[in-house]
Amino acid sequence: MVMRPTLLNSCARAATAAEARFRVDVPIGGQRATRVVALDDGASAVVRQVAQQKWGGARFYTYEPRPRSVAVDAELADIVLRSTDGSEARLSEELDGADAMVMIATADDGAEAASAIGNACTLRSIMTAGLILGEGRAAGAAVSALRPHARVLMRSKDEHDVTDVLKALRA
Amino acid sequence: MLAPETNELLTRTGPGTPMGELFRQYWIPALLAEELAENESPPVRVKLLSERLIAFRDADGRYGLIDEFCAHRGVSLWFGRNEGAGLRCAYHGWKYDVTGQCVEVPSEPEDSRFCSKVKLTSYPLVKVGDILWTYMGDPAKRPDLPEFEFTQVPPEQTYTSKRWQESNWLQALEGGIDSSHVSWLHSAGLKNDPLFKGAKGNDYNMADLKPFFEVVDVDGGLFIGVRRNAEEGHYYWRITPWVLPSFTMVPPRGDHPMHGHLWIPIDDENCWVFTFDYQPVRALTADELQAMKDGHGVHNENIPGTYRPVQNKDNDYLMDREAQKRGETFSGVKGIAIQDSSLQESMGPIVNRNKERLVSADSGIIKARAKLRAAAEALRDEGITPPGVDAAHHRVRSVSIVLPKEASFIESCRDAAAVSPGVRQTSV
Repeated sequence: MVMRPTLLNSCARAATAAEARFRVDVPIGGQRATRVVALDDGASAVVRQVAQQKWGGARFYTYEPRPRSVAVDAELADIVLRSTDGSEARLSEELDGADAMVMIATADDGAEAASAIGNACTLRSIMTAGLILGEGRAAGAAVSALRPHARVLMRSKDEHDVTDVLKALRA
Repeated sequence: MLAPETNELLTRTGPGTPMGELFRQYWIPALLAEELAENESPPVRVKLLSERLIAFRDADGRYGLIDEFCAHRGVSLWFGRNEGAGLRCAYHGWKYDVTGQCVEVPSEPEDSRFCSKVKLTSYPLVKVGDILWTYMGDPAKRPDLPEFEFTQVPPEQTYTSKRWQESNWLQALEGGIDSSHVSWLHSAGLKNDPLFKGAKGNDYNMADLKPFFEVVDVDGGLFIGVRRNAEEGHYYWRITPWVLPSFTMVPPRGDHPMHGHLWIPIDDENCWVFTFDYQPVRALTADELQAMKDGHGVHNENIPGTYRPVQNKDNDYLMDREAQKRGETFSGVKGIAIQDSSLQESMGPIVNRNKERLVSADSGIIKARAKLRAAAEALRDEGITPPGVDAAHHRVRSVSIVLPKEASFIESCRDAAAVSPGVRQTSV
């Protein structure tokens, strides 16, 4: 092994509590543009509540299973989402500039939407995550529905995880 | 990102802190049994959860873990003499038994009862497997002894080592939960390490560097499943269990031994990493055991006579840029354990999580923090016993398996991820 002439004790010094004071303390710039979509009624209630908190660039939507679909691409169906202020929004437009998509589900009612969202995000290289709330068969079905379309899935019994995950992601 | 007050809550484990109280609900590893190998062995200084203690084994083989300092003048009992039924202070000869009870004060009259009024803090110390475990909480709430599988198999099937890590316990634990770094930091180990190489699963690992993650909340902690593409219509799953507060297992590879860690706070800026390997149904081979003792796999080489790694921050972990260039290591640091500790120590003694930029692939870490915080707050505010205290929660295994694409890993692996005595591990 060839030893490089590193500074004597450089790691030892750099990793001390005293040196930690000299770490650059400038706030990390740039917000992550996160889109959060509730895929079913159970998830909608949670998302509406979470949306009332203070967020950076996050936007929140609910999906209604009978949307007015408008085909905009041979392979992709654009779906209509409802913003938490009640206005309608098209998925394709809402994904403009997005960094991450977080889908919330309690059952598999929104499987079709998950597929459309997953495909749209794949096409745009947007990271996808799914949070499945609850237990039992309905939650299991939601996992199956979301698995092909979410790079990360979390199955949890605790609704607070929606807030925890979004805060951790600086949404 | 974690708010500063939450970071404080999760990282401080001294007496009276919420996380310190949480740790005091569990049996935790205090030291290796080899450190008190014989009756009347020399006493061993032990610092745990920011409390300085002394461990010893008396002439009858009873283990004791008591306050390090003599009640008389505050001298360290590490200088004491282990004599018969107790530890005698080297300064004025006060003697304590394994319960911390003072049994002799030589300066007092022959029949004086003074010593019966002097008792040092003490904690139980019990050998389970290769480890001496202690419980530092309320004696009335002492739980059953730990039942992690590596402690329950015959001695020839298990091996445990320990190393000092110069960082807060939480950043060490988080490395055990974070499966996504393996394909990068440890990539060379999959090809070269005698305790990893040759497994079919390694090919899946290296062929798919963008895995998918699933985090499942269970009673004792989490199961974190990471899937990669396998043959047509199948996924290769690697499943990591985490049991509160700090037990993690690494998914196995081929017929290599299973392994994992317990991450135990020494104080807020240092932790012990207890690392185990075991085979559920067969003895470790001589080659496997030698490889572990040589620091391969998830073990490491310590400075003789200590539990400090040979590669440590004083020598830049023996960074070898040439080996890095040749592809023998990804980071230039040799060995899985020190590859992890070098980076975790570089974060600083307690990393500022308010500045981090997590991504959704970090969901396991996010959920683990949430569970720890919830458990600490529920204990503090409502006295609720936290997950992982019940020994039933200890009976978990890591798994590596190829499953059809449509299969749920948690449903499919319900048996494989539970301890079944006499049944081989599920491993690819």
